[in-house]
Amino acid sequence: MRALTWHGEKDVRVDEVPKPEIVNPTDAIVEITATAICGSDLHLYNGKMPSMREGDVLGHEPMGEVVEVGSEVETLERGDRVVVPFTISCGSCWFCETEQYSLCDNSNPNAEMARKMMGHSPAGLFGYSHMLGGYAGGQAEYLRVPYADVGPINVDSGLPDEQVLFLSDVFPTGYMAAENADIEEEDTVAVWGCGPVGQFAIQSAWMLGAGRVVAIDRVQERLEMARSHGDSETIDYENEDVYDRLMAMTGGRGPDRCIDAVGTEAHGTGLDGMSDRVKTGLKLQDDRPYVLREAIKCCRKGGTLSVPGVYLGRTNIPFGSVMNKALTVKTGQTHMQRYLDPLLETIEDGEIDPSFILTHRADLEDGPDLYETFNEKDDECIKVMLTP
Amino acid sequence: MFSYSLDTAADEWSDRTRDPALSRSDSDLSRWKRIGAGAVGGALVAFGLGRRSLGGAAIALVGGWMAYRAVGARSEGSTGAETVAESITIGKPADELSEFARDAANLNRLVGPFADVTALEADRHRWTVHESPDQRLSWETRLVEDRPGDRLRWEPADGTALIDGWSMSFRPAPGDRGTEVTLEVGFAPPGGSLGTAVIEKLDVVPESLVGGVLDRFKSLAETGEIPTTEGNPSARGRGDLL
Repeated sequence: MRALTWHGEKDVRVDEVPKPEIVNPTDAIVEITATAICGSDLHLYNGKMPSMREGDVLGHEPMGEVVEVGSEVETLERGDRVVVPFTISCGSCWFCETEQYSLCDNSNPNAEMARKMMGHSPAGLFGYSHMLGGYAGGQAEYLRVPYADVGPINVDSGLPDEQVLFLSDVFPTGYMAAENADIEEEDTVAVWGCGPVGQFAIQSAWMLGAGRVVAIDRVQERLEMARSHGDSETIDYENEDVYDRLMAMTGGRGPDRCIDAVGTEAHGTGLDGMSDRVKTGLKLQDDRPYVLREAIKCCRKGGTLSVPGVYLGRTNIPFGSVMNKALTVKTGQTHMQRYLDPLLETIEDGEIDPSFILTHRADLEDGPDLYETFNEKDDECIKVMLTP
Repeated sequence: MFSYSLDTAADEWSDRTRDPALSRSDSDLSRWKRIGAGAVGGALVAFGLGRRSLGGAAIALVGGWMAYRAVGARSEGSTGAETVAESITIGKPADELSEFARDAANLNRLVGPFADVTALEADRHRWTVHESPDQRLSWETRLVEDRPGDRLRWEPADGTALIDGWSMSFRPAPGDRGTEVTLEVGFAPPGGSLGTAVIEKLDVVPESLVGGVLDRFKSLAETGEIPTTEGNPSARGRGDLL
């Protein structure tokens, strides 16, 4: 089959690879009809994530049609149309039973590697390094889906792919980010990063009762989307100081809830941004936590910091500010299965049409070019959907 | 001072978790032993390493204790004897788990690619390490402690044993979390040329072996299957570690 594969920094190719097969009795094989490139795929593309191996199949935002099921699969059958969430969860362990699906104890075959890194292993993910499972991803014609009764969600409502595809990651991720922010009535919510997760965090913040949403970015079309589609006030961090502007907007209190939808590869400004670039260049730190630092500084005392953005390793943040300002930090990979049903309902009810973020549609064969376009934010690219 | 690249570490990791049938003969395991089992951890902790090597200063920051342990292990003498204990929590009752672990066929699945375990009698098993020189690394074990739901211990009865004790203890976990299972394994490579061959050529990192057994135990008990990337497609072919 054809698949997008990782060959090193800024080197993604279309390769012919073997078709996946059923291995375990709860596996299913899905023929992919649509698959997206995620902002977190760019961390792989930019060579930031260790334990990638040349030839790994990328992609964790797929959907398609079930073409084969293992002997113990009960809820899916051939011909079902499914969206596949990016986290792989067994459904049986204590974490899955308590709906903390991204912390699944059983789905990472390379758990030992993750334990060495982090002390414990989170769930395995599709197409996201060997440390996090080593599973082939969904930017391909076919995908093997383990624990098929637990992950994929059946979509039989005839909605087009582009309206349901983003249930695979960015919509639930934005929603959980807003939920993690503990938004109370009339709260001011600041969202750093107006990519797809940021846009869905903005939408979700309104759903959860925010009184005001402020969106921060430097890419004009993303700020425009946050204004026009997200009803947000915006700050272009290249043209104004974010802290000063947020204090002016909130009478010096700072936003009640801050969401970092940027993560490890933040583009900082000034000395701080330069220092991050130098330190990561010298391998003194693994992340560029510019946004995290700024959010900590801006957040009101006793407020909440929600971090859907991906971080990788050692990072330099002013933890003294977190402690002395009594901030609550909530983060984690998205507990996908917790959100699939209710969010599908919001799409089916017409409450939200997630396809608003989609700017580029192309064939899988065009994947390598679009990785570059998306990474460079060229051509006003916000979200890419590929069709195998 | 230690210096290694993350890619090398990841490759070596893959070598360690490789299905023996796919093993590359050119993997430099003696280098692995020199670095010590902690190196992969240290290298992986040193995120974003890319293709550069890691200097001593960074190790001191992120992987110092692992490097220290690797040095410590090296200076303990050359016998390679070591006892490793690790614990895991499994969401099943202790009785059920100890009954499962008594069975040679189940043990064989738990032990994974490292060795074959076959039943001789109910409380006597035979262990044969894969890939050992001339299959000489084979021994019989006897169940010397048998307290269902509490503790099981096997010890070698004859043969050339790599493992001189295998104990599993079970105790209830708090709340609804099931059972805390501790696996303690004594590794004692035989002396002489065979022992040297084992340490140099056999791909055994005690902690990884013990951790892997517990992971498999938990997954089998809780889900009935072991997560795998067997047959995984990539541009390298089929099978994750080609």
